[in-house]
Amino acid sequence: MKERKRRGSSTLLILVGTIILIVVTAAVGIGVFRLYIGKFNEVSEGKTYDKYYVMITEDRKDAFWQSVYQGAYETGLSENIYVDMLGENLSHDYSREDLMRIAISSKVDGIIVAADESEQMSALINEAVDAGIPVVTLYGDNTHSNRCSFVGVGGYNLGTEYGKQVFQIIKESESKPVTKVSVLVKSYAMDSGQNIICSGIQDTLDKAKEEGKEIEMTLVSVDDANAFAVEEAIRDIFMEQDIPDIIICLNELNTTCVYQAVVDYNKVGQVSILGYYDSDTIIKAIDRNVIYATVSIDTKQMGKFCVGALNEYHDLGYTSQYFTADIELIKKSNVHEYLEGGEEDE
Amino acid sequence: MNRFQSLPLQAKISIIYIFANVLVLAVNVILLVGINSMSNEMDMVYQGNLHLNQLVTALENVQDSMTDYLNAKTSDSLEDYYRSEQDYREMVQELDDEVTGIAFARMERNIKNMSENYLEIVSQTVEAKRGRNVEKYRVRYESATQLYDYINTYIESLNNEQFKHNSENYKELLDAFRLFETISVVVMCLVILGNVSIIIKLAGAIISPLKTLAGSANEVAKGNFDIELLEVQSQDEIGVVTGAFNQMIISIRQYIERIRESMEVERALKEKELLMETHLKDAQLKYLQAQINPHFLFNTLNAGAQLAMMEGADRTYQYVQNMAEFFRYNVKKGDEIVTLREEIELVDNYIYILNVRFSGDIHYEKELDKNLLDIQMPSMILQPIVENCVNHGIREMAGEGKIKLYVYQIDDVACISISDNGKGMSRDVIHKVLSGTYREEELAAGSNGIGMDNVIARLKLFTETDDVISIISEGENMGTEVILYLPAKEKEEEDV
Repeated sequence: MKERKRRGSSTLLILVGTIILIVVTAAVGIGVFRLYIGKFNEVSEGKTYDKYYVMITEDRKDAFWQSVYQGAYETGLSENIYVDMLGENLSHDYSREDLMRIAISSKVDGIIVAADESEQMSALINEAVDAGIPVVTLYGDNTHSNRCSFVGVGGYNLGTEYGKQVFQIIKESESKPVTKVSVLVKSYAMDSGQNIICSGIQDTLDKAKEEGKEIEMTLVSVDDANAFAVEEAIRDIFMEQDIPDIIICLNELNTTCVYQAVVDYNKVGQVSILGYYDSDTIIKAIDRNVIYATVSIDTKQMGKFCVGALNEYHDLGYTSQYFTADIELIKKSNVHEYLEGGEEDE
Repeated sequence: MNRFQSLPLQAKISIIYIFANVLVLAVNVILLVGINSMSNEMDMVYQGNLHLNQLVTALENVQDSMTDYLNAKTSDSLEDYYRSEQDYREMVQELDDEVTGIAFARMERNIKNMSENYLEIVSQTVEAKRGRNVEKYRVRYESATQLYDYINTYIESLNNEQFKHNSENYKELLDAFRLFETISVVVMCLVILGNVSIIIKLAGAIISPLKTLAGSANEVAKGNFDIELLEVQSQDEIGVVTGAFNQMIISIRQYIERIRESMEVERALKEKELLMETHLKDAQLKYLQAQINPHFLFNTLNAGAQLAMMEGADRTYQYVQNMAEFFRYNVKKGDEIVTLREEIELVDNYIYILNVRFSGDIHYEKELDKNLLDIQMPSMILQPIVENCVNHGIREMAGEGKIKLYVYQIDDVACISISDNGKGMSRDVIHKVLSGTYREEELAAGSNGIGMDNVIARLKLFTETDDVISIISEGENMGTEVILYLPAKEKEEEDV
């Protein structure tokens, strides 16, 4: 009788076990499946935002612009605004003007554009403003348009800083009768920001001339109309007989190209570079004494200013005409802070 | 379980079968539902792309029909334009215009806004064309075409991005599907394993009473009815058969018991019958004995002897006295151990009586070793032998019969020889007598009824040896000698 009971209970155990197995399988199967579906749904849902701003720049991959965008994006998120880098996901690489048109016809809530002083840009900015879309110009201004605000770097100050660094280099190196300084500028001379920097440099160097230093400053136009043209143009400088002693670059790409050219043509020590922006490559180059100094622009702050200006305009109907981002000089002496900090940033 | 136990066999087997099948079916259904919903999901993966493709086609239709209309201004193309514009507008309406963190959604929103803008411009273009405002519709057409390009690019990009994303999803889904497949196989195996175990267990539970029953039946077939009664575990057919088997065993045992009892009774009855017969014979014997009561005879003869003495008839007295002695010996020593002397005295008396009866026909001689007269022997040994000598030896011969009695010792053996000069015995007869197979057809008159076989048997019992007697006969009419061998030293030992 006992044995029979035992046998009966073991049968019952297997029975219950099998049924539990089925139930568990069903539950786990459905659970796992739901998890998968849930993951997909998660992608297709998401938070909705009140406003939609777009940022239009020339070179979206550029670390400088990425950083500015990051600043704008983060500021936007905190105020329930989505800031998009327009053209990022598109298969066709549109010009800023095309992107402006797309933004206008997409009825975005605000446009942040790295503008220039071209008439076409002015017309587009005005078109946008007419369509009720506030426009903030970033880094490059379009003073003739109805843009509501400009966010940039204090160009003149930057120029002065570059000028001081030129002095410093002249002091440190053995004195040459004439020190040749080349400033790499965009071929499109309508860029007001660039011109202001140049005048800043010029003014500082003029003061130096008064101190009896022979400094020859030239503006070297770098053709950026076509893709890859910048790099070629910079190489051309080094192919010439007369290589400048100091090269001042006014954007990140130029800095990187000049740095690479100096290394390739074995001109380290002969050519001093004053760079722009604090990308990893540039910081490392300073650490290796190839680039003399660079300026760090608070790009995040720029982004923040852009979104702030648009918001203010939306709320109040007006906003400040100018926002100036902080700049800081990075030299060999303080590069270590950036080496560590820079890695964290990336 | 108890309810299961009480079900009939067919129902049990059916339930197990159905249960196993239902179990497997359930697992299959679960797995199938899972696979089905997964494959549905996989089908849905590229649904977005499909939709976008349709959107592109619709957009193309709008642009083409507009261009057609601008080209030729046919009413057909206008109709086409309206229809395709309507289609596209409906499709655009379905697009999401929320600003979310997802790039697709924002692109969709832009597409929607741009499309609305585009449709607006297109309709303005068509209006301008109808109004023959050449300048206006050219400008509008250009901006519409530009927008068309933008939208196309957007849709294409979105399509691309979605495709990339969906491909990832598809891959993940495929992985999930593979995992699900593996799990399914494992679960299937486990369930089948469990199923098989349950079936084996339950089948075992059903069959095991049958096995015990078969074992018991085998035992019974071998003839062993003393087996334990089987426990009825279930109420199914096997239970019924087990119960019946138990009942059969009980019945067989009862039947055997009854037969044994009746045999016992029969045996007792037979015993009783035999006893009765013995008693009857005993009674008959007693009756016969009572008729010839030796005491009565002996007293009667004594009275006769005294009467003869008083009358002075000495010979009669002597005769009656001898007869009295003869009978008294019979009465006294029927079953006892006696001395050789008493036996010889009896022979003397017997011969005397015979001589009186047959008027001195028998010549009796004896030669005795006096030392041996006190040895012990069973009673009624010598007289029957002498009686045989007289009846079979001397009586059937002519002339004077002689009987000689010698008692002598050889080593430790006392020999008692009784010989006659009668007609003798053949070897066959001697052999038969010694082996006890010789039977006298009827007891001779005057015999006391004790045969040679009896004598020999008693002597053998007394001496505890087989070598107690020998019969010697030289041949026809040469007489017979019977020699008895008794232990002589027994007497001596007793004397000491």
